[in-house]
Amino acid sequence: MTNFFLQALAEVGTPSVLGLIFIGVLFGIVGGSIPGFTVTMAILVVFPFTFAMDPVSGVSLMVGVFVGGYSGGIVSGVMLGIPGTPSSITTVYDGYPMAQKGEPGRALGIGVASSFLGTLISVAVLVFFGPLIASFSMNFRPWEITALIVFALTLVAGLSSGALLKGLMAAALGLLITTVGYDRNSNLRFDFGLPALGSGFEILPVMIGIFAFSQLLGNIEKIKDEKSEAKKIDTNVTIPYGQILKDMTGQKLNILRSSLIGSLVGALPGTGGTVANFLSYDQAKKFSRHPEEFGTGTPSGIVASEASNSAVAGGAFVPTLALGIPGDLPMAIMMGVLILHGITPGPMMFEQNPVLVGAIYASLLIGAVVMVICNLLLVRWFAKISLIPQQILVPVVLMLCAIGAYALNNNLFDIWVLFIFGIIGYLLWKAKVPLTPLILGVVLGDNLERQLFRALELNESWMTFLTRPLSALFLALAIASILFSLYQDRKIQRLKGL
Amino acid sequence: MLTLTKDRALALALLLIVAVMWRESGSIAPPTSWQPYGSALFPRILLVVIGVFSLLILVRSLLVKVPERAGAKQLIHEWFQSRRTILALFLLFGLYAALLPVVGYIVATIGFLVASLALLMGVNTRRKWMINLTLSCTLAIVIFVVFRYGLNVWLP
Repeated sequence: MTNFFLQALAEVGTPSVLGLIFIGVLFGIVGGSIPGFTVTMAILVVFPFTFAMDPVSGVSLMVGVFVGGYSGGIVSGVMLGIPGTPSSITTVYDGYPMAQKGEPGRALGIGVASSFLGTLISVAVLVFFGPLIASFSMNFRPWEITALIVFALTLVAGLSSGALLKGLMAAALGLLITTVGYDRNSNLRFDFGLPALGSGFEILPVMIGIFAFSQLLGNIEKIKDEKSEAKKIDTNVTIPYGQILKDMTGQKLNILRSSLIGSLVGALPGTGGTVANFLSYDQAKKFSRHPEEFGTGTPSGIVASEASNSAVAGGAFVPTLALGIPGDLPMAIMMGVLILHGITPGPMMFEQNPVLVGAIYASLLIGAVVMVICNLLLVRWFAKISLIPQQILVPVVLMLCAIGAYALNNNLFDIWVLFIFGIIGYLLWKAKVPLTPLILGVVLGDNLERQLFRALELNESWMTFLTRPLSALFLALAIASILFSLYQDRKIQRLKGL
Repeated sequence: MLTLTKDRALALALLLIVAVMWRESGSIAPPTSWQPYGSALFPRILLVVIGVFSLLILVRSLLVKVPERAGAKQLIHEWFQSRRTILALFLLFGLYAALLPVVGYIVATIGFLVASLALLMGVNTRRKWMINLTLSCTLAIVIFVVFRYGLNVWLP
């Protein structure tokens, strides 16, 4: 693996790829800085630009956006008191009070340093556990893969904040979308007499439509609902490097704990940065000698929040690369990028594309360094950019989405697909249907059907799914995750009733 | 009369979709002699799952007491009224998609950006018009140049 990593490092180290990582990190930070824009949206906007690139360049650019995006929430969190992304909510708890006390530079510096260390630790987790899980899952046959995908979908649906039924229904709906068009036996399905539907729906326009429209139009509704005042901020920030070094030296354990929590949570399907953020903040408070200082501008709070949400980046790559199952929405899109470049994420990727896997590791590491440089040097610009109003942002991003969908195959039909799924996504979002299981269903649908039928072609009996130990274990876990979600829902309802 | 809630509307819409697609799944070619199961099996399993969950959502929504409200027609009218901006934005996007092959990327994109920025930002001051026009023209051209010459992607 070391040879491949060095080979990958040489490929990633070329000026053009380094330039792409720099652009990716820069755009990611900008995306993360703008409240309501999110990392996922930044990834979706950059995605089309990778179409014409070779896999290493495309993936490096996307990894750059990923690393930058998870750290971008610091700026708006500290300067405006508004989390740029949901995964930086707890950064606001201590970052904003510290900035209010006249130390915005210190808050930003601690946040950036923690983000950097969090990313590094998560890359170490990825490098260690990725190949380990991949080599274990090499023994998976179609029964195990089918059961694992079912488990991942039920887990994500079950974590859809009190909407288990809708989450499961959304996952099934996502899978159903992938059945349109010619199947593996060249049989046409659900074309309704329209030739354009013969080739089915491309994943990208469906994903962008469902996610981007609901989020962007939701932002517009929010602006209409709450007439927000124009915020004025002082962008004249100086970073006190000596003070930050002192702050960070006393946070070794906090950094390690929060980064490991972030990596672990990132590796679990359906969780992501927001869960990691709250979990590590809570743990840091519990382990602290001065828990009363949390929420008043303590460095420990910023460290816990930023180290954990940045560590999600590396952790989330573990199931995506090792099992071919994305854990969250940004990873589902990342998987779409890999598929688009002809690479199928999964255990075989470590054998078939070791250089690309190495390129992902290298891009994460280089991205983390670039992120620190960009954040420290350009912080006042990011603070200004975070004030871009949604009224300007929404039309621009919608236009970029349309061009991105078109550029995929130079096909205008894809813009219509984007539009139709935009309407569907918006209506589902209004009906409080969780969209993550839906998108995950779209990404995993083809593989699920292929594996299911391969299993049934090898052995017609459905009972084989229960007689093979690992397959039975995954199915049992799927049922357990549903039962646990039901129990949680009941508990929440009982608490609401009190 | 039953009040139309979001959950009820969702469940009914999904049940309708399931019914239409189940009917359409009848036209999928049957399995050949060497196939244990045909191409219709997987989508039919999913249709059953969606149907069952939709029914459960419907039943659960019927068990929850909702305050008496106006009829479905009135509610739909109110819903559309309160989301005029969103609907106008959807309409503009639809127009953009329709005009793209007719008038080409540059004209359609500038048109879409100018119209949607005007819709969201308003056009009550000269400054807003200037921002609108400058942003729309610059962005449309920059994106065209990046895709056409930087990435070799042809735009209509």
